[in-house]
Amino acid sequence: MASVYIPVQNSEEEVRVVLDQLPRDASDILDILKAEQAPLDLWLIIAREYFKQGKIEQFRQILEEGSSSDIDEYYADVKYERIAILNALGAYYSYLGKTETKHREKEEQFILATRYYNKASRIDMHEPSTWVGKGQLLLAKGEIDNALQAFKIVLDTAPDNVPALLGQASVEFNRGRFSESLNLYKRALQVFPGCPAAVRLGIGLCRYKLGQLDKARQAFDRVLQANPDNVEALVALGIMDLQANDSIGMRKGMDRMQQAFEIYPYCASALNYLANHFFFTGQHFLVEQLTETALAVTTHGPTKSHSFYNLARSYHSKGDFEKAGMYYMAAIKETNNKPQEFVFPYFGLGQVQLKLGELKGSVFNFEKVLEVYPDNCETLKALGHLYTQLGQNDKALEYMRKATKLDPRDAQAFVGLGELLISSDTGAALDAFKMARTLMKKGGQEVPIEVLNDIGALHFEREEFESALDNFKEALGDGIWISFLDEKENLEQTGVTVLGYKDTGIFHRLIESGHSVDVPWNKVTTLFNLARLLEQLHKTEAATFLYRLILFKYPGYIDAYLRLAASAKAQNNLPLAIELVNEALKVDDKNPNALSLLGELELKNDDWVKAKETFRAANDATDGKDSYAILSLGNWNYFAAMRNEKRNPKLEATHLEKAKELYTKVLTQHNSNMYAANGSGIVLAEKGQFDIAKDVFTQVQEAASGSVFLQMPDVWVNLAHVYFAQGNFALAVKMYQNCLRKFFNNTDSQILLYLARTHYEAEQWQECKKTLLRAIHLTPSNYTFRFDLGAVMQKSSSSTLQKKKRTADEVRSTVAEAENAVRVFTQLSAASDLHVHGFDSKKIQTHVQYCSHLLEAAKVHREAAEQEELQNRQRLQVARQAALAEEARRKAEEQRKYQLEKRKQEEELRRLKQEEEKIQRIKEQWKSSTPGSHKRKDRVEDDDGEGKPSERRRKKGGKRRKKDKSSRARHYEDDEEEAATMDDHNEVEDEDANTNYNREDEMTNQEAEEPVDDDAHDLLAAAGLEDPDVDDDEVPASGVRRRRAPSSSDEEGELMEESQPNSNPQREKEESNGDGEDANVEEEEEEEAN
Amino acid sequence: MKLAGLKSIENAHEDSVWAATWVPATEDRPALLLTGSLDETVKLWRPDELDLVRTNTGHSLGVAALAAHPSGIIAASSSLDSFVRVFDVDTNATIAVLEAPPSEVWGMQFEPKGTILAVAGGSSASVKLWDTSSWRLISTLSIPRPEAPKPSEKTSSKKFVLSVAWAPNGKRLACGSMDGTICVFDVDRSKLLHQLEGHNMPVRSLVFSPVDPRILFSGSDDGHVNMHDAEGKTLLGSMSGHTSWVLSVDASPDGGAIATGSSDRTVRLWDLKMRAAIQTMSNHNDQVWSVAFRPPGGTGVRAGRLASVSDDKSVSLYDYS
Repeated sequence: MASVYIPVQNSEEEVRVVLDQLPRDASDILDILKAEQAPLDLWLIIAREYFKQGKIEQFRQILEEGSSSDIDEYYADVKYERIAILNALGAYYSYLGKTETKHREKEEQFILATRYYNKASRIDMHEPSTWVGKGQLLLAKGEIDNALQAFKIVLDTAPDNVPALLGQASVEFNRGRFSESLNLYKRALQVFPGCPAAVRLGIGLCRYKLGQLDKARQAFDRVLQANPDNVEALVALGIMDLQANDSIGMRKGMDRMQQAFEIYPYCASALNYLANHFFFTGQHFLVEQLTETALAVTTHGPTKSHSFYNLARSYHSKGDFEKAGMYYMAAIKETNNKPQEFVFPYFGLGQVQLKLGELKGSVFNFEKVLEVYPDNCETLKALGHLYTQLGQNDKALEYMRKATKLDPRDAQAFVGLGELLISSDTGAALDAFKMARTLMKKGGQEVPIEVLNDIGALHFEREEFESALDNFKEALGDGIWISFLDEKENLEQTGVTVLGYKDTGIFHRLIESGHSVDVPWNKVTTLFNLARLLEQLHKTEAATFLYRLILFKYPGYIDAYLRLAASAKAQNNLPLAIELVNEALKVDDKNPNALSLLGELELKNDDWVKAKETFRAANDATDGKDSYAILSLGNWNYFAAMRNEKRNPKLEATHLEKAKELYTKVLTQHNSNMYAANGSGIVLAEKGQFDIAKDVFTQVQEAASGSVFLQMPDVWVNLAHVYFAQGNFALAVKMYQNCLRKFFNNTDSQILLYLARTHYEAEQWQECKKTLLRAIHLTPSNYTFRFDLGAVMQKSSSSTLQKKKRTADEVRSTVAEAENAVRVFTQLSAASDLHVHGFDSKKIQTHVQYCSHLLEAAKVHREAAEQEELQNRQRLQVARQAALAEEARRKAEEQRKYQLEKRKQEEELRRLKQEEEKIQRIKEQWKSSTPGSHKRKDRVEDDDGEGKPSERRRKKGGKRRKKDKSSRARHYEDDEEEAATMDDHNEVEDEDANTNYNREDEMTNQEAEEPVDDDAHDLLAAAGLEDPDVDDDEVPASGVRRRRAPSSSDEEGELMEESQPNSNPQREKEESNGDGEDANVEEEEEEEAN
Repeated sequence: MKLAGLKSIENAHEDSVWAATWVPATEDRPALLLTGSLDETVKLWRPDELDLVRTNTGHSLGVAALAAHPSGIIAASSSLDSFVRVFDVDTNATIAVLEAPPSEVWGMQFEPKGTILAVAGGSSASVKLWDTSSWRLISTLSIPRPEAPKPSEKTSSKKFVLSVAWAPNGKRLACGSMDGTICVFDVDRSKLLHQLEGHNMPVRSLVFSPVDPRILFSGSDDGHVNMHDAEGKTLLGSMSGHTSWVLSVDASPDGGAIATGSSDRTVRLWDLKMRAAIQTMSNHNDQVWSVAFRPPGGTGVRAGRLASVSDDKSVSLYDYS
């Protein structure tokens, strides 16, 4: 049992003080010490003993008493012990200062410590232990350079002063000069081999820092051998174990940490590491407790930073982003905003801010991380996402690309890249997603449904339906849909139709028959996409089934309702479509898409007032931000403007202006909205600014080409309208035809009507007729086409008859044409008795009469033409006969000539013979006489004379006959002239009639356009005014309602009134098909006016 | 079962070909193909080489429908001017010219025994039945008009009969109209039995299954082919796949398949067991207005034939097996 002996003054006796039985009250001892004037070293020993026993108060009491001025006086010559006591106090306060966490108290302790050391220095300023103490104090205060000076002073005089060596080592360690520090520790150990474990700890730390991990471990082990409770060594070893990064190391490390914690619960690093561990094991409560303690016990910046970081992380993972953010910030503050020292909090803060929507701050922090680790993929990805959200797509792309380049095996980076590219470059996006998919598959990872879904959707958009289908299937995995897609289950047997959308029976039956109809929530979107795809592939039944399945499981899935409604709409089942939309509106009565669709349906159903209300509601539901709703309203106004022309030009202008305003509004919101651009183009065209309109349409047309989701046939039609209006018929025809072929499979009779109108204007009657026949064939029930057909044939035949030159064939076909026209009109008049087609039967009757008249005229013409033909034939025949006669005559002549010649020759011969005979005779006569020979010669001459006149006579006769013929021809000519004048007369009549009838045409057409359920009174009135006997003077009178009638100077320009250009506003998203739904606007305007 | 192209005649007509039907074989000759066109002619072709036998003229405004008498001796052609011309196939002698003003003429079909010619009457909202011996109008089967209080343009124009089909037993007659409804009549009693629903767009073509008189196929502008139980008034199924209007439907003589022609320029073959399109022919480059299977019979010709005609002026012949 250790004990000290206090010598009793002036005696040989001593007082024995058993050190572990020191009295609780230090005053007792002090009294003895003071009374016996015990040597000061005893004071120190006893104080130290108190300290060791943790009785700090007593310790301080004794030392303070031992350093009081009384003692100074009394023990004035005992220098060393006094210094020792002061130094002990200094060291004590240094320690207090060092451990104190509160700043002010810390300062106070350091001041006290300084005071004691200074006092010690005053006693002996060369005492090395004082300098060592001072050095320690400075070190604790962080004044490393000063501390270095203090230790140096000691070491200069005593190079082997162990405490100074240790202090110096500590300084060097703090200055980061680990090898110097190591050397100093080593020297201290050489000088004093039995020095405390702390020295070896220092060595271990130095070696650790120098990367000599094995030696460090040895050193720490030695420390622990000497002192198994050395916390620092335990922690250090623990850290090293943890860093070994394997499960055994981890466990060992954690054991050591725990051990350290049990020994000394206030070691910050141990706490941090423990907290770290518990963070990973998810025990957040422990994490918080540990780190809070750690924070309470340490002032060391990096350690605190670490603690804050742990705390922040804990809150972060619990989702308390506010707190997490705060602590991350604290952690950053502790590193003095130097990301190089401890970069994790920046990352964490960035993440938290991302969550909290503080994108800018988040970007800032991630950029900091990137400063330290420019190649950190996670950070690059995070920044990529952030810049995407901030709308800086280029930067985002740059980062994402870098991330994928740095780590070409990072599937996530490729996914991010793909997501970025979706809106800009579908091809590249698809490649990125595919890359990600390949990587994931290679890595044995399951490819997330989202990625497959995206790939599928991209393929879908690029019209690669097969691939899209495959990806959707893969994304969906097993489920009821597969058996349907693979046709294992027969859809037909389940009888899926849109009609029975409310009937969930089929699903119950499926469940009963052992099928699972589960749809996991994360598959709904893909399932919906698949259904969309099937729809695109025209597998309507399968699509319907899927939509219904979605609705069965998720009755709130509005889009599925809307698609079903669209499907019903496509099949023209409007009541069902409206019902379905209303189902959707039950889920959310403010859903703008549902409202828009409803409006469209109402428009199609001729519910104009309702439609307008609905569009307005849709617009309100989106605070006027939904372009579609605004566009719909714009369209509505446009339609209204067009329908009002016959009633109120002012209203038309107002509506048009309103429409333009709305289109412009959309364009300011989305300057690339093609539908709005198309709309403004229409308004421009409507105002006659064709060139600008053409530019607009052309641009829209170019922009609209290339995507399966963008079908804008209207812009083609509009463009064609503009060409038409500008008189460029050939181009207009081409444009209409292309549009028909490209978008409608040639099934749109309305466009055929436009086409016919263009042919009509271009006076291509046959093309026009053929086009109308096609239209009739496509839409047999549309009698307007028949009417137009009749009108075209009428026009074509009358124009043929007006021609100066025409063949009998032409006239014949004209007659046929007129006959057909009569038939068409007759039928029409008969049919319109049965139904109300908007045609006035009287007007048709007029047409019938006119055409019959035309037919009669044509028949006359035909007769004339046929007669002429006959005469021509006769003339030809006569000519031929004449030619034949001539030929015969010529032949006869030749014969005669030949005979004449022959005769001549014979004569000659005879003469020669006679001559001979004569000569003979002369010869004989010479013997006798020769008188008769002259007479004979004369006779021959006479014969010749007779022949000539007869010939002349015959010639004369021929001439006379010719004259006859020519006179007769003249007679024919006269006839012809007569016929021609008759023609002229007819033509004049025709023309009169034409203008008259053509006006009638246009009126009839207008009439045809007018709402049928217009009050009958109007119809009657109109009919009354359109009495066929009335001159065209009457037309303006009746034209009060028909503004255009009087102004249409271009005769038949308005024939196909219905095909007025520009009456084809865009059909959006799913083809509003609003055009041609003319009825009811006027009514409705009235209602509005009321 | 499958289709294989045999022969295609480009520019078979001068303009769109709208109608096609097979004239059954007689003792003297095999079955012939009859086609009608916008060019106002009707042409007669001899398979398999599609040799042109004759060109009939005399129609105006485009030939829209054709029908052949089961005997193969006579046939009827109709045009947009609403005349029906009945003629002798081999001599082209006109037998009768039918009209029933103000009724238009759309689809036509001879009763399977050949005693009656049924003609879809367009806006008259009726089917006209003509006696084939006297060529007199013997009956008018009217479809019900909607009880709309005020007939508007829309509803009235849709009660417009486009297509007709006789059941193979001659007892039932179905007609399709513009509004998508199909009416089934009991011919003997001249009575409307019921309306079949499912389409809401024009039904341009109808055909009964040759093996089951209950089953009726209809093609509509909604792109679907519906399969009805004509007696039980139920929709048995709906087949989709065409991307545009279905203009023509015909059932194969064996009853195992149907063929369709569509505005989407394709001819499709549907397997009725699978109820799915098993083949798509895309040899036409415009709307396919009519498809027709060759009726069985004739001089030992067993091979199945399908003909299709199109707006692209061509006529195509396929082998069906």
